[in-house]
Amino acid sequence: MTSGTAFSGDDPRQLLSGTRELARKVRKTQRATWFPLLVLAAVTFAAIPFRYSPHRLGTCAATGPGRVCTVYPDALLVYWPAALVLAYAAIAAFYIRRSRARGVGTRVRPYVIAGIILALAMTGSLLWTLYHPLAFTLAGPGLFSALHSYPFAIGLALVLLAWAERSGALLAMALGYSVVVLVTVAFGSVGGHRELGFPVQLVTAGSVLLLGGIGFLLAQRPWQRAA
Amino acid sequence: MTSHAVNGLDDVVHQRVRLGILTIAHEARRVEFGYLRATLDVTAGNLSQHLGVLENAGLIAIEKGYVGKRARTWVTLTNAGRAALAEEIAQLKLLINRVEHPDTPPDHGRSGAGRPAPPRPGPGDPGWS
Repeated sequence: MTSGTAFSGDDPRQLLSGTRELARKVRKTQRATWFPLLVLAAVTFAAIPFRYSPHRLGTCAATGPGRVCTVYPDALLVYWPAALVLAYAAIAAFYIRRSRARGVGTRVRPYVIAGIILALAMTGSLLWTLYHPLAFTLAGPGLFSALHSYPFAIGLALVLLAWAERSGALLAMALGYSVVVLVTVAFGSVGGHRELGFPVQLVTAGSVLLLGGIGFLLAQRPWQRAA
Repeated sequence: MTSHAVNGLDDVVHQRVRLGILTIAHEARRVEFGYLRATLDVTAGNLSQHLGVLENAGLIAIEKGYVGKRARTWVTLTNAGRAALAEEIAQLKLLINRVEHPDTPPDHGRSGAGRPAPPRPGPGDPGWS
């Protein structure tokens, strides 16, 4: 329960190592990485049914014999921003409640704010891609589509959470997750079969988040109060 | 004339419990009295005294309130406290360096004139873990 042995004496070396030990201890108490990962996994999996809602037709262009149009499920344009804002609000509430219970705060506000801003910005960007003629040329398969996805926005925000928690493990996980999302979106778009690849991306992204959340849950063991 | 690294140590900060309070408050956005008492293994009276010293020096801010019906005291590090902690850590590192390498040229105290500034990672920062 105490750190008396780790932080005692007046020897400079002891004092320095004691401060490091204290910092580690505080970070261990603060970390609750599993919660946002599990919430975001749930949000990602819950998006799958909305994928099959009626599609909104965006900008079209003539290509040889026919024409090609940008499309996006209508319901997803409402679901994602609403679900992500609610998810980040829940994450903020969880950290505040935990902070009060444990007596030590966490700098989670930048993560929550960035997550909400990214979710809203992604919606604006998607609408622009759908309706702006210039965006049509960019909106085809490839990296642009990959960057224009809500799961990728989740990954970007997770990098910020890794900074807030000073967690190298979460940083590695967030970067790995982002790469997986980019690859699945890019491959899911190949050959104009984006609508077939789309659920694969959601399933993959949700699975990575779920597995990450379970891994951090087992590692951080929130049922054991930090000493 | 040169000054020894010991002269750079601030008596307010260079104390086990007070250094611990500043370190914990630096890591947390704010920290509760009970957490400090348990983590630093001190009595409530002793902790109150140290908090008073730090508050009078302007290194921390103390906020009292209630969570439900329970009175709570929250401690937040001020900018002056952040700077004082960074200075203390730098001085401790300097002191260790002087002890381990007595043949190196003497430092110039807090002014740091004539020598490159010591590296300053976050106070007590164990890095990303």
